[in-house]
Amino acid sequence: MAAPEFGELCQLVFARYPHWEWASFARFGWRETRDGMVVTLAAVEAPGSGDLNETVGHVMINEPYTLRVALAAETHPLSVGIIHSHPKDCAPRPSSIDDDMDNYYGRYFQDFAPGRPYVSLIASQVNGELELSGRIYWRGTWLLVSHFAIERTPTRTWTRNSELRCEKSRERTARLNAAFGEQAAHRLRRSSVAVIGAGGTGSAAIESLARAGVGKIVVVDPDHVDTSNLERIHGSKPEHAEQRVPKAQVARDHVLGIDPSCRVVALRGALPQKDVVDIVASCDLALGCTDQQHSRLALSDLAVRYLVPALDCGVVLEGQNGRITGQVLQIVRFLANDSCALCRDLVTPQRLSQELMSSEERDQRRIAAKSAEERGESGNPYWLETAQLNTVGYLTTIAGAMMAGYAIGWLTGRFDAPFERLQLDLTAKLLGVVDPEDTPRTQCVCRRVRGWADQASADALIAPPSHWPNVEAL
Amino acid sequence: MSSERVSRELAIIREGLLTADLVNEGGRQFVIYRAVPTNGVRFGLPGSTDVIVPVPPGYPASWIDLAGLPVGSPFLPRVKGGQNNQGIVFADGHQWQLASYHPHNGGGGPPWDQNRHGFHTYLDHLIAWLDRIA
Repeated sequence: MAAPEFGELCQLVFARYPHWEWASFARFGWRETRDGMVVTLAAVEAPGSGDLNETVGHVMINEPYTLRVALAAETHPLSVGIIHSHPKDCAPRPSSIDDDMDNYYGRYFQDFAPGRPYVSLIASQVNGELELSGRIYWRGTWLLVSHFAIERTPTRTWTRNSELRCEKSRERTARLNAAFGEQAAHRLRRSSVAVIGAGGTGSAAIESLARAGVGKIVVVDPDHVDTSNLERIHGSKPEHAEQRVPKAQVARDHVLGIDPSCRVVALRGALPQKDVVDIVASCDLALGCTDQQHSRLALSDLAVRYLVPALDCGVVLEGQNGRITGQVLQIVRFLANDSCALCRDLVTPQRLSQELMSSEERDQRRIAAKSAEERGESGNPYWLETAQLNTVGYLTTIAGAMMAGYAIGWLTGRFDAPFERLQLDLTAKLLGVVDPEDTPRTQCVCRRVRGWADQASADALIAPPSHWPNVEAL
Repeated sequence: MSSERVSRELAIIREGLLTADLVNEGGRQFVIYRAVPTNGVRFGLPGSTDVIVPVPPGYPASWIDLAGLPVGSPFLPRVKGGQNNQGIVFADGHQWQLASYHPHNGGGGPPWDQNRHGFHTYLDHLIAWLDRIA
């Protein structure tokens, strides 16, 4: 869930807190994955006056409200559902009344929105924590929500098993616990972070997240370790380069060496390949550490359509004549309501096109460009050479550690990333920090499809090239 | 490739009474525009021709580029970039020769903007391309 819609939803369902319940219908996007389903809150269909019975403490929905939502579902492609609250400090465990309501609505909405899931969520504030439970009626069966992710809002997911779970303090993170509190440590343990790119920046972020006690880390990278990477990649050794070990595998092994209890999913692949999106879309947040424009665009798309909060990083070392003149680091925040990568001009069509070509096509284009130049014409329509971006391990480590730090701030709710696009230069006085203001373009697709998930597939900013190898789980 | 997006754009073309199809050939995708009007009649050439355009990898992140005509087409020597062979492809039962035509990359069209451009707007460039035959 993203902040604008979730904030609106909280104001509604907690309107009669702490003792009485309240509710609202909502629209959801969804994506069927290999292991289940990811559901995203796309819009709130708030109740109007008289839509709910105000004279009773529990939720009673009057028929005109239900019918209005059902008829609206015939005009849009999204799923419908309801969110209601339970009184303060009452677990969001579905009651028998909730069961009756869901059994009725699950079938009722199939008549108006056939082939779409029906979503039922319960929210409650329990011991100072936001706690949610949920179930989804899909193809005649009920699926239980196993994890909620809300933009910059720590959340507990209620399941029947979670009542039995005992969260123990961990000695290994004692200093972090002392600084952030035990509650924050438990939040990290329940969290999942996807790191796209396991090179210099990614490996530094992964190491910091693992040491902080993040419960699940998803590592995605298409490449293997090369000798020239050894200066930057945390956990890499010369034998990894000699044996061409995938970077994601090196990261996984390094994390398990730090914390064997961390759940690590290592994928050899890239965004936006289907198997990668399936897993990353279910994470609490994603860190983009590839410094590739197509990856940046895919991450931005993921933030908009699947509501995965993301930070993306790029670093570059500038210099000439043996003198370093710039050590620039940029961290871009992609929240669902932020400007997307297109609005911010973070990508250029030519570079994107060249990054996404097959190696054969790149070779053909280079030859065509050379031929054009030999004829006295510009080779640019065919191929534009871009300079190799240089970087060094300490710079990527700083960037990765900063990304991990802001991720920890979001996951624990202890601090926020106070910027939209942070740029700094290690060689500039006071680091030359700037935070350029980015304004969304009103006509950009990102303004129209927030939280629409697969229901806005035709509006995806990027698709995976067919020549990419299949994703491999390591 | 976003097949949903390409399908949506081809549907827009069909609303304008022209036809374009998405074809897969050997792992590559192409859009074939059917019977695109030309300015050939005044040269004694056909008044229309089919045109092939590759769907770029990662589309719509990558821009649409190039255009091809059937191998041996009388338009190839006359259209812009037609004599600069950018490769032969086989699709839809025919061989096609790709021409050096780059409207979104310095070739006279606007810079690529995936929020505005697509295979439906590329048709305008193709019609202009086949109108300006020499």
